[in-house]
Amino acid sequence: MRVLIQLRPAPDVVAAVADPGVTATTADVSDPLPGVVLDHSFIPVALPRPVPVAGGDPFSLRQSTTFSLAADQASVMVRGEISDDELSTRLTLLPCMRSDVVGVHADPVIESGLTCGGDASVGDWHDVERLLRVTELQAEGLDGSGVALAVVDTGINAAHIIRHTGRSLTLDAQRSWKPDGVTGRPGEFPVDHGTMCAFDTLIAAPRASLIDIPVLLSRRAGGSAMDGLLSDAIAAFAHLRTVLAAQPESSRSLIISNSWGSFSPRWDFPVGHPGNYSDNAAHPFNLIISSLEQAGADVLFAAGNCGRDCRDRRCAYPDRPISGANSHPRVLSIGGVDTAGERVGYSSQGPGRLTSRKPDVCAYTHFSGSGAFGDDSPDSGTSAACPVAAGLVAAIRTRWPASRLSPAQLRALLRRTADDRGDFGFDYDYGYGVVDVLGVLASLRRREMRVA
Amino acid sequence: MVLVTVRLPSPATLTQAMRRLGLSDEEVDTGYGLVLIDPEQDLYALRVTQTAAGRIDPAAGGGHYADPRIEPYGPPG
Repeated sequence: MRVLIQLRPAPDVVAAVADPGVTATTADVSDPLPGVVLDHSFIPVALPRPVPVAGGDPFSLRQSTTFSLAADQASVMVRGEISDDELSTRLTLLPCMRSDVVGVHADPVIESGLTCGGDASVGDWHDVERLLRVTELQAEGLDGSGVALAVVDTGINAAHIIRHTGRSLTLDAQRSWKPDGVTGRPGEFPVDHGTMCAFDTLIAAPRASLIDIPVLLSRRAGGSAMDGLLSDAIAAFAHLRTVLAAQPESSRSLIISNSWGSFSPRWDFPVGHPGNYSDNAAHPFNLIISSLEQAGADVLFAAGNCGRDCRDRRCAYPDRPISGANSHPRVLSIGGVDTAGERVGYSSQGPGRLTSRKPDVCAYTHFSGSGAFGDDSPDSGTSAACPVAAGLVAAIRTRWPASRLSPAQLRALLRRTADDRGDFGFDYDYGYGVVDVLGVLASLRRREMRVA
Repeated sequence: MVLVTVRLPSPATLTQAMRRLGLSDEEVDTGYGLVLIDPEQDLYALRVTQTAAGRIDPAAGGGHYADPRIEPYGPPG
């Protein structure tokens, strides 16, 4: 987290900072502070001390006050960063360990406009192709050929995708699955959210074999037209484990893209109840994810659209909106950035509920793509970012099945090579950063040479 | 309806699970059936009514769990 640190150094130093004719540096003002990475590009600023005109509380602004820049009264502000993991400890310890530290304050990002829901597209899917270095991926033979990629959503409309891409599409109807009571055939569901997700997986992995899993069309009691129940997802994942188990172990690969979640604690047992879902790794759905991951599946979940800057109106968690499987330690939780690389304002921020360090990484969203919601509507939400990342994983799996690169290793690879944004290192806005395909390719080449 | 887990030697059937948990047809979502959660633990799940879940002997089952509504995340509104 970025912080502002208020210091009271020796009066001659304060005088130098306050003197417009002198340029003092952060190094002049402060020795290194434990646990703080000081920003030496920031020119220290002198802060005047409020002085009540006629005595009284010096910190109350509800009285006549003057402000003093006298060297023995003013303080100095410098800028730095504290790791998110150590924040509370450092905030407590710093003023105790260093007598010149007067206070540590938040330094929030001030921006004119993060991309929000309803905003126009930022670039198009060809920009995403370029950012994902699809040409370089394909030059290495990484196009998703023969890789099974399950889209767990509202169903896929293959004809719509073919029309919008002008390319053929491989749909694996035999391994597709639908909940009891859902009518329709794989690849022939109405154009909706699932079609957008499928389209976005194909940006990086145009030759992947799509498995259509329309769990969000379930009409099981308790559901409505465009939602499902977690039990449907459990049944879908049980089916996908049979798909995985049927593959030869040496070439096993299955990517599962999930752009959905549970918006409200109202549908859940309370946190602390042994049957709770949002915060409970022992819930059957969280267990089946572990089981699939252990068998070799790459599971990706959207982080959600409950970012503080412009959250979806359905978001009902008062805090920590990345919950349940979306925060599972064995899945990749995907946040969203626009094609300019800026976090979209609705992308949910960590910490996650099952594991703190969420989201893991960010991928691209809010671009003109599938046209699933109309030609003028972007592929948006972390709903689009997740399948974009799933496509990249499928491309990698073309030559790197789970027997060569386990799901845990692949997650580590994406985190380690991510383009760091936001605060230094991991942060709760961007996770480890934005997926960086050139970094991934370089790392895979090094690994291949080591193995050879 | 809530989710209930049960441990049974694989491969198990819904009938076996209902017998183990003392459940009738009316108390179980038979369309959902019996779903294998973790083959290494012989752990299965089924959907039962809230009333039936409260009656199940904890020694026979692995507990009952929330079955929350799930929704697509986008587009953000």
